[in-house]
Amino acid sequence: MKKRLSEIGLASSIAFTYMRAKLKQTIIATAGVTFGITVFIFMVSFIQGTNEYTQDIVFEQSPHLRLYNEVQLNKKNGLDRAYPGMVNVIHHQKPKDILLNLKDANHVLDELKNDSRVLAASGSLSAQVFYRLGSCSLNGKVNGINFESENILFNLSNKIVDGGFEELSTKPNSMLMGVGLAQKLNVKTGDQLRITTERGDSFIITVVGLFKTGLTDIDKQQSYASLKTVQRFLKVPSSYLTEIKVKLHDKELAPKISQEFQRKYACYGSDWKKDNSSLLEGDVLRKMIVYGVAGTILLVAGFGIFNILTMMIYEKMEDIAILKATGFSDTDVRWVFLTQAFVIGTVGAIMGLFFGFLLSYAVSKVPFHSDVMITLDHLPVSFKTIYYITGFTFGILTTSLSGYLPSRKAAMMDPIAILRG
Amino acid sequence: MNVLEASHINKYFHDPAKFHVLKDMSFAIRKGQFTSITGKSGSGKSTLLYLLSTMDTQFEGSIKIKGEEMQGKSNKWLAEFRNHHIGFVFQFHFLLPEFTVLRNVMLPGLKRAEYSPGEVEHKAYTLLKLLGVEDQANKRAALLSGGQQQRVAIARALINDPLIVMGDEPTGNLDSKNTAIVFDLFRKLAAENGQTMIIVTHDDDFAGKSDHVIHLADGRVLN
Ligand SMILES: Nc1ncnc2c1ncn2[C@@H]1O[C@H](COP(=O)(O)OP(=O)(O)OP(=O)(O)O)[C@@H](O)[C@H]1O
Ligand SMILES: [Mg+2]
Repeated sequence: MKKRLSEIGLASSIAFTYMRAKLKQTIIATAGVTFGITVFIFMVSFIQGTNEYTQDIVFEQSPHLRLYNEVQLNKKNGLDRAYPGMVNVIHHQKPKDILLNLKDANHVLDELKNDSRVLAASGSLSAQVFYRLGSCSLNGKVNGINFESENILFNLSNKIVDGGFEELSTKPNSMLMGVGLAQKLNVKTGDQLRITTERGDSFIITVVGLFKTGLTDIDKQQSYASLKTVQRFLKVPSSYLTEIKVKLHDKELAPKISQEFQRKYACYGSDWKKDNSSLLEGDVLRKMIVYGVAGTILLVAGFGIFNILTMMIYEKMEDIAILKATGFSDTDVRWVFLTQAFVIGTVGAIMGLFFGFLLSYAVSKVPFHSDVMITLDHLPVSFKTIYYITGFTFGILTTSLSGYLPSRKAAMMDPIAILRG
Repeated sequence: MNVLEASHINKYFHDPAKFHVLKDMSFAIRKGQFTSITGKSGSGKSTLLYLLSTMDTQFEGSIKIKGEEMQGKSNKWLAEFRNHHIGFVFQFHFLLPEFTVLRNVMLPGLKRAEYSPGEVEHKAYTLLKLLGVEDQANKRAALLSGGQQQRVAIARALINDPLIVMGDEPTGNLDSKNTAIVFDLFRKLAAENGQTMIIVTHDDDFAGKSDHVIHLADGRVLN
């Protein structure tokens, strides 16, 4: 073992002499690797940063799982019941006018709150309404919530930009309104306005605050009111809830737990992965692009290493023959050239990590304002050790691979063919 | 005691046409003997020496060094064997041009790793001094003259105190004074250390002073 190490040491010292003699090509090959890794680190950090940023705001608005009821057609219709065993064809069947509430919702909520996997659960009730603005009306949605429990799930209090939520539960017919919606309706905190429900009932409500989630769809259409207020709008009893949103300790378990709850409580359910599948899909695609581009650059860098080593091996054929004649084994000769690939790869990769970090850091300081990503003031960049580990491994792997073939060629070279002159 | 025994060696070249270079050669060389190999240009001297040095393994017959059969050994085994027991001076190629003279001489010793780098360096320096090129020790090898390079190559061949020193016209580039120095050095090593010398030479004077001459003609050994 010690002998082996000293042999590799000797081989590397020979490798270093060669690299010093071919300094320019060595530097160019190293720069190629550096460039590849720099681009990789920068792209991953920037794209992932953007990804994470958008995901964060979306996921913050998205419960880990939710339970609800849905309008659906009766699979077994009256005809089938009356004439079992016959072929009954019903054209354009209509659903029964069922209530969309969850059965025994408050009991379910209590059970969920005692489930050890559940961090928090909140029941809600949403209503489609028209906001009246003079003679015009705007379509929108009012969410009836229990502010305290909804706040645990979605961190609502942080999103209030004007007014406050305290009055929501105390003041009847009070509302928190999305900033976009308020702007369209030209209302401010303290203003009153009239809404109409789907059934045609009208109410005067007071805006007690404005919120801003960063998601345009929500900010331009939604308002929050207390559960009681919305129940009064819809003329339903206080046990009437249409949706239960749940936050789990481990959100990865959501799809499984969702299945379980659906069976247990006989309702429909969805989880954050299902609700945001297009976003998650896009994430995978973006990652593929990053790895594709970085892989291509590294391939070119690897080709540079392959080139310099192949050239060097042709130039150094006599040296190889002399080394072998004086007792260096094929393996020693292979190490002479593999070491060069390793050194170029390692130095290139480390510099790449460094420059990649520098570039990412610089970009993360660039001010950036956007109407869509409202909470953003600088370009989002993600700094994660895993990118650096991946980049380094990636660099070492490509360079070793591109060093392998030439060094094998050198190891297999027959000294006698060269020495005959 | 025979340090090297060759029996019924046959060597062919196949390119461009099949060519029988060495024909059924058998001979033995004793330990500490100063042997010269002579013969006309193209008679196969270099070819034979490459076989004896274990670098060329494509031949028929048997070569035993120190009683050990060389035929059929792996590259790795042969490399180590050469490193320990054979010092070689080439006819056309000498040194690694990008390394210093001293480093060139040291490399086989460092590879052997029996002595510390310091000791190897000291030994290399002593050999360079014996051959009159110690003042070139720290120059890049490429900068030396042909004769200087050849003397450095001789020093390198001696660094591991090999059992056998093989030279393919090792004094071909040297003037008569340096040829005499090298000859005396080889003589002394043979006599004092019992190292065996197998030297290819065109120099009749050089051959005449050796213990044993193997003369090649028409691919055979003449007696
Ligand atoms: N690789 C080869 N392929 C084919 N023929 C070869 C090869 N190497 C040498 N020969 C031939 O083998 C014969 C012996 O060559 P060798 O180099 O051994 O001669 P030599 O005795 O060393 O000559 P010199 O004194 O000029 O060095 C020559 O006829 C040469 O042309
Ligand atoms: Mg010759």
